[in-house]
Amino acid sequence: MLITCLPNVATQVGAYRIMSGNKFHYPVGNPELSPQDEVNWRAQVLSAALKVLQTPVEAPTVFDQ
Amino acid sequence: MAKVLHYLNQFFAGIGGEDKAGQEFLFLPKPVGPGVLLRDLLKDRQKEYATVVCGDNYFHENEETVLASLAEVIVQFQPDLFIAGPAFHAGRYGIACAKAASFVHERWDVPAVTGLFEENPGTREIGRHVLVIQTGSSAASMQSTIKRFADLAVLLLNNNQEGLEAFKEEFCLKIPRRFTVQAAAPDSVRALDMLLAKLRGGAFESEIPRIQAAPHPIPAALQDISRATLALVTEGGLVPMGNPDRLESSRGTKYFKYSIEKRDDLKSGEFEAMHTGYDTSTVNADPDRLIPVDAMRRLEREGNFARLHNYYYVTTGTGAMPAKMQELGGGIAQELSACGVNGVVLTAT
Repeated sequence: MLITCLPNVATQVGAYRIMSGNKFHYPVGNPELSPQDEVNWRAQVLSAALKVLQTPVEAPTVFDQ
Repeated sequence: MAKVLHYLNQFFAGIGGEDKAGQEFLFLPKPVGPGVLLRDLLKDRQKEYATVVCGDNYFHENEETVLASLAEVIVQFQPDLFIAGPAFHAGRYGIACAKAASFVHERWDVPAVTGLFEENPGTREIGRHVLVIQTGSSAASMQSTIKRFADLAVLLLNNNQEGLEAFKEEFCLKIPRRFTVQAAAPDSVRALDMLLAKLRGGAFESEIPRIQAAPHPIPAALQDISRATLALVTEGGLVPMGNPDRLESSRGTKYFKYSIEKRDDLKSGEFEAMHTGYDTSTVNADPDRLIPVDAMRRLEREGNFARLHNYYYVTTGTGAMPAKMQELGGGIAQELSACGVNGVVLTAT
């Protein structure tokens, strides 16, 4: 699965499992949070990513975080 | 019936080798060297075949003079087709062929063809719409190359667009370059014209070619993630500090893998991002923001999946050629698959 801030481009080039990242220069970062909160936030994002990996798709699909 | 003009260097014109590389520009009203074979293959079609010859050194030392002489020949001879080479892997000759063909095509809109090996430096000098037949690296492939020149010449002289597209696809080098052209109106006007056409539902053509991605099989969903090995991959250019393998910061042509074994997170100062496509400072301050080892370790410990692969894979995606990225992606996928990795989280900047 792909985490990107340009899901429309990812769809256009034919990636199948797409999830929006936070910012294009730090897709799984959230520097406004405290370090501990940021790790918790990131674990949630990656947990969602694991669900995406287990989801059947038939066409390029953009999933929510 | 048509006129063909053929550019050759001193060697293929039969004048001599390196000792004759200073040969001045020369017009011959007949086919010479490989041109004889090409003329024979085209004998039903063309009525005049002439040759221009120039020594490899002479061309580079007197480029302006040579092109001026070539211009005179074009004006007088008025060719319907310009052929240069083939130059195979010969560098000076390849550059001369590319420059001569590009000059003739750009100035007079005469179809121009050359033949180069893919690594010939001449490929970097090819102008817009000049056709480059892919050749082998040496003149051993002369016969088959000239046969292709003849096939292409027939398509061009007959203006067979459909055949031309098929030929280009199969036998011509793709020249991955952008060209500077003079447009009829400023970009703001062209962009608004396109937008208005789009809003009206009219026809418009983007100036940026759309990437035609070849469809690929849909990766199956993970069945039993509790037994899965997962890997992290990025195009964001994250490498160990100092970039030991010299990953390019743009137009990447390589990928690397770096160990994250026994690491619970990626520390600032140990890794850095090589990438001219984004502001890397936030990732450099905490590389987990690109390769999320800390979060994946936590999920691994909590049993959300079996194991995080010992290496992450990286390339640089900015300014990259889609074909090259496809090749790199294929290589990464093959390596991961061979290691028993079941799923990948790929972060893109």
